[in-house]
Amino acid sequence: MSHDESLDTTPMQSENLKSELLTLNMGPQHPATHGVLRVEIKTDSEIIAEATPHLGYLHRCMEKHCEHLDYRGIIPFVDRMDYLAAMSMEWGYCLTIEKMLGTEVPRRAQYIRTMVAELQRVASHLMFYGTYAIDLGAFSPFLYAFQERETILRIFEELSGARLLYNYIWLGGVWNDMTDDHLRRIAAFCDRMDGELEKYHTLVGMNKIFRDRTANVGVLTAEDCYSYGATGPILRASGVDWDLRKTRPYGIYQELDFESIVGTGEMGTLGDCWDRYYVRMKEMNESLKIIRQCLEGIEEGPIQGKVSKIVKVPAGEIYMRTECPRGELGYHLISDGGKIPYRLKVKSSCFTHTAMLSHMAPGQMIADFVASIGSIDIVLGEVDR
Amino acid sequence: MNSKTENLQRYDKPLTFTGWFKNVWTSVTTVLKGLSITIRYVYAEKPVTIEYPEVREPLPENSRSRLFNDVENCISCYQCATACPVDCIYIAATRRDKEAEKIKTKDGTAIRLDLQQYTIDTALCCYCGLCTTVCPTHCLTHSTDYEFSAYTVNDMKYDYLAKDIRMWRDRIVKD
Amino acid sequence: MHNELVTLLNSKANGCDATTAEVECGDQPIFVEAAHINAALKALKESTYEFNVLQLITGCDFEDRIEISYILASFTKNHEVIIKTKLAKPSSDAILDIDSVCDLWLAAGFLERETYDMFGVRFNGNPDLRRILCPDDWEGWPLRKDYVVQEKYKHMLVNPQNKINTDDLYFFDRQKKEAAEPKLWSGSWKKPEFPAEVEAKGEK
Repeated sequence: MSHDESLDTTPMQSENLKSELLTLNMGPQHPATHGVLRVEIKTDSEIIAEATPHLGYLHRCMEKHCEHLDYRGIIPFVDRMDYLAAMSMEWGYCLTIEKMLGTEVPRRAQYIRTMVAELQRVASHLMFYGTYAIDLGAFSPFLYAFQERETILRIFEELSGARLLYNYIWLGGVWNDMTDDHLRRIAAFCDRMDGELEKYHTLVGMNKIFRDRTANVGVLTAEDCYSYGATGPILRASGVDWDLRKTRPYGIYQELDFESIVGTGEMGTLGDCWDRYYVRMKEMNESLKIIRQCLEGIEEGPIQGKVSKIVKVPAGEIYMRTECPRGELGYHLISDGGKIPYRLKVKSSCFTHTAMLSHMAPGQMIADFVASIGSIDIVLGEVDR
Repeated sequence: MNSKTENLQRYDKPLTFTGWFKNVWTSVTTVLKGLSITIRYVYAEKPVTIEYPEVREPLPENSRSRLFNDVENCISCYQCATACPVDCIYIAATRRDKEAEKIKTKDGTAIRLDLQQYTIDTALCCYCGLCTTVCPTHCLTHSTDYEFSAYTVNDMKYDYLAKDIRMWRDRIVKD
Repeated sequence: MHNELVTLLNSKANGCDATTAEVECGDQPIFVEAAHINAALKALKESTYEFNVLQLITGCDFEDRIEISYILASFTKNHEVIIKTKLAKPSSDAILDIDSVCDLWLAAGFLERETYDMFGVRFNGNPDLRRILCPDDWEGWPLRKDYVVQEKYKHMLVNPQNKINTDDLYFFDRQKKEAAEPKLWSGSWKKPEFPAEVEAKGEK
């Protein structure tokens, strides 16, 4: 029997075997990426070495459109960026223009705007709850979340005429008035939701499987958040007490009593996915508190302030930021005094948060990466605009 | 091949003997608590599904669905076309003769222009409602029809001067 | 606060020529020289004002220049400032250069890529400067005021004629040309630009 040298496998030779990283495409069509996001992952046997997000699949160049539309016509366009929190987008835009014009919004309109924005926050966080659970494999909470959202969307449909893209908050006020029937239904919803939220938290948040999948995963420290410009629930989950409704109040938030929820790291490390989930769940309770205070304090009066028929914003620039359910939304407007904006730039929180995916990914397993993407709660409409 | 498990970032504490039993206990209790909630939905709660298309819930009155323009009352002021953010309304009109008989709309405004073309491209329309708010005679309104899909994109352009669309007036316009 | 920031910038970052002027309406920006932007923003980050968050990098196209705005905020001291630089634009399709601030804030990575994609401003030092929102081989800088979209992308027409509502768009123009008394016809339509194929066919 001749000696086949190719069968010699001494330890010296096996050290020369090299392995390559496997490039995996978490493509634009994927149930867990919350939209058309493409992430190119380089993995070494289940552990990710590098992840690069590729954006632009939903880019509609809204900023170019805004340079050809008058100020009132931009409101339907602004809705369509973060389509799951359209009221907050409209409110931010209207605040920017009203600050430049100096219009005064009547009290009743302020209360209605706050109530509607907080209801929108509850709806958006419910959507996060449902889709995060379904990303991790739990199918029931998705339908419970959508059933709760139905109540909110029906109220919005009767107020504004549409279920998702409202065009309701206008320059100087709101479009239609809220009737007593709406107020009664909102009060009934608030009373019901507190108990239901406790149930939903027990079902998903305290479940051991969910805890094992999200605690100690995707940890973001406060320094990381500052460097990446993360805002909103992500920043608060990392321990920083920064809520624009308290630190830079707009509307009537100064008169309302609520807390900003900060993560504590009780299930794992401070700033992990479980903290981000928990901050959003507790924020829903705070929103219900705010809605109850608005219901008690709402005043009679007009719902539209004085805005001229053709809106002309004086020359200058402004940057106005508001607290959206997903983070901090900013509008940077440069105006030259005409009927159409010269440059309107939207600072979307989800765009800056997508950059953190490539920071969180190295060293995680692919299943952990799915949990991390879900926990930063991005909506591609806002990322790509 | 060197497996890179040492690159794996985990912050867990190492597992102890009592830790293992504690894990089993919390797993069993939390899953049972969750199951009690879901099983209650199976037996104790009523289903909320609306079985479309056998059951159709009516939309609210101010729902912003398909547009309808009552051309007999339209004064061709072009407010809707200028307000539209996506420019989907196409209007052309001629001036009426001074000697022609004077006609008025429902609420008394004089009609000075003859409408020759009033087309809305409902495929472009974003259903924002800005056109209906600026209409001075309220002839342009949103109806509550939401089932109007068509086979070609050209069928989505509605010519409101055509006879078949004018017949909707009895159903939609409430005098 | 803006005047103190200006004195701080002029003392810490040499040559940045910070200026600011009171405005009646809106926010007051601070103008800085483009060549020293990195040093100026570093001075602001490490000063007692603690501007630890970079919120936005954006551009605005004017006739002779592109203005880049940097909006900084401090989450510990609760204030914000807008810093602007002017980059001279010699011709309408020139690519302009400026230093990157990626070493100061990691948020600058995506934000600078977006400004590059939309305005054609190259940030020297950005680790991954390529288009982010448009496809990688797109031509042109979309948010410049004189931008004309390309006709074809790979093998696809960007604005195909059959998708544009030509009949209804040109109804008014056609009637006006065919009518006995064109003055009687009025249309709401903004004058459409007839594309080359339609002009050649004589449809209008």
